[in-house]
Amino acid sequence: MIPYSIIVAITGLLLGLAAIAAFVWAWSRGAFENIDDQARVIFEPRDLRLLRPWETQAQQEERRKLYGELIEPAPGEWGGGE
Amino acid sequence: MTNPAAEIAYREDVELRLRADRSTARPVLFVFALAIFWLLVGSVFGVIASIKLHLPDWLVRQQWLTFGIVRTAHLDVMAYGWASLAMIGVALWTFPRLLHVELLWPRVAMVGAVSWNIGLVVGVALLLQGRNNGMEWLELDRYYSVPFLVLGGACVAASLIRTLIARRAPHLYVSVWYIVGAFIWFPIIYVAGNWPTLKGVESASTNWFYAHNALGLWFAPICLAAIYYFMPKVLGRPIHSYQLSLLGFWTLAFFYALNGMHHLIGGPIPTWMITTSIVASVLMVIPVVAVAVNHHMTMIGRFGALRYSPTLRFIVVGAIAYTAVSLQGSFTALREVNRITHFTHWTVAHAHVGAYAFVTLALFGAIYYIMPRITRREWPSAALIKWHFWLVLIGISIYVIALTIAGLFQGLALLDPGTPFQVSVERTIWALWSRSFAGVMLTAGHIVFAINFFLMTRGPEPAWRIPPLHEVQPVIYRGDDEVAP
Repeated sequence: MIPYSIIVAITGLLLGLAAIAAFVWAWSRGAFENIDDQARVIFEPRDLRLLRPWETQAQQEERRKLYGELIEPAPGEWGGGE
Repeated sequence: MTNPAAEIAYREDVELRLRADRSTARPVLFVFALAIFWLLVGSVFGVIASIKLHLPDWLVRQQWLTFGIVRTAHLDVMAYGWASLAMIGVALWTFPRLLHVELLWPRVAMVGAVSWNIGLVVGVALLLQGRNNGMEWLELDRYYSVPFLVLGGACVAASLIRTLIARRAPHLYVSVWYIVGAFIWFPIIYVAGNWPTLKGVESASTNWFYAHNALGLWFAPICLAAIYYFMPKVLGRPIHSYQLSLLGFWTLAFFYALNGMHHLIGGPIPTWMITTSIVASVLMVIPVVAVAVNHHMTMIGRFGALRYSPTLRFIVVGAIAYTAVSLQGSFTALREVNRITHFTHWTVAHAHVGAYAFVTLALFGAIYYIMPRITRREWPSAALIKWHFWLVLIGISIYVIALTIAGLFQGLALLDPGTPFQVSVERTIWALWSRSFAGVMLTAGHIVFAINFFLMTRGPEPAWRIPPLHEVQPVIYRGDDEVAP
């Protein structure tokens, strides 16, 4: 039975072991530390402070508290003024 | 910005982002253009194959237009032409941004894209002549086509890995994990799937090991990477729980690889393999729920943004479809359900929720975001974007609903010994017509998308204007300090 499935069994194991090795490596390199910083690595300050037209008053206030004074959209952004 | 140090840091950041975008512009534009070409070709094959199921005497005089060939060409063109190339473009563009560095070895990536397309042209030409490997998802000729694909993928991977090594970003965002994972997993499963010495049952099990993992370890990771990047970026808020996003990635890495054998339930392969696969399929609920909760909680209270951003529209539908197709997959893997749905149109509908509603829509969303930033132009027509969105959304909805219902009727009829086989076919005819109608709608949507893409890249110099649908912010704008964040 086993010989007929050897390729799938070996490849499945290989993928599983590779995942475990990568996980251990990531752990040792601090990939699970500074989680908040990791989540924000795609942003620059302007991203987070820009006023979004769909946001409620409360959401804008929350954004202001978290990231600082809000920036009005520039011309052309979110259909802002010409 | 009043703080001079902050001002300098900000400008450096913007400059870095602009350099990253410039470095990717040429290869990304190249692969997107080719991906859209294959999308149109694959759509035509798909519609022809669909119509043949309810009009079997249509186009039967030429061998290359017979169902077995056209349907195969549709699958391979869509999987390796459209989706894979668009994903390569998305990976090439997002990687430098995520790693805060320019794309390194862009020419190697270009060579890779060229090689990939040569392999595809050769493979599809051979397919149309009736020559294929005889295994689903692995039809492209393993001697004349696959080597070009392997070389192409390796070149693209080399460029990405070189860029990863040179990174300046302090952290690896979750999208980087998904993209790196995909480029490691895919060669392993592709080589295993194409292994030339396998025969019979072993070949079947390796076939489905590959075919299912192609979706879960190649298409899904890169599309999830795109969703994890574009959704927070457009909304301007970090993903709801970064921990959950990591949990989703690592559980996918641990559990997904063994899923494929559930396609062979009832087949002549060892029971332990089937059972292991069913267990792994059920375990997939963990990463799927982690991803679904995360996406939903990131979006909650901000669905109004869908009116403003075409990227977000496509991405959100794609994210919903990912949850749907994954949970449906876990459910379908159960023996009791599989007994009814296997060998029916249910499976076709399920595959299209994954490959189209999730993968393709996520890729459309990504392209809508990326193109203005590499061409320095806006999309020329907001109306065409709207037409594209509604045509494909309504089209895929009709497709999936019709075939899912018909699949259940068909499965129940097939299991009933008192019902002639003919009846199980007749009960699905309405759904097959619906599928062809939906296929025409999808193709029309693709044509609209291609026209908008073509106008954007080949049209006259753009007059700066308000972006369509108040396009995704941060959108490029012109001022004293030109910024493309």
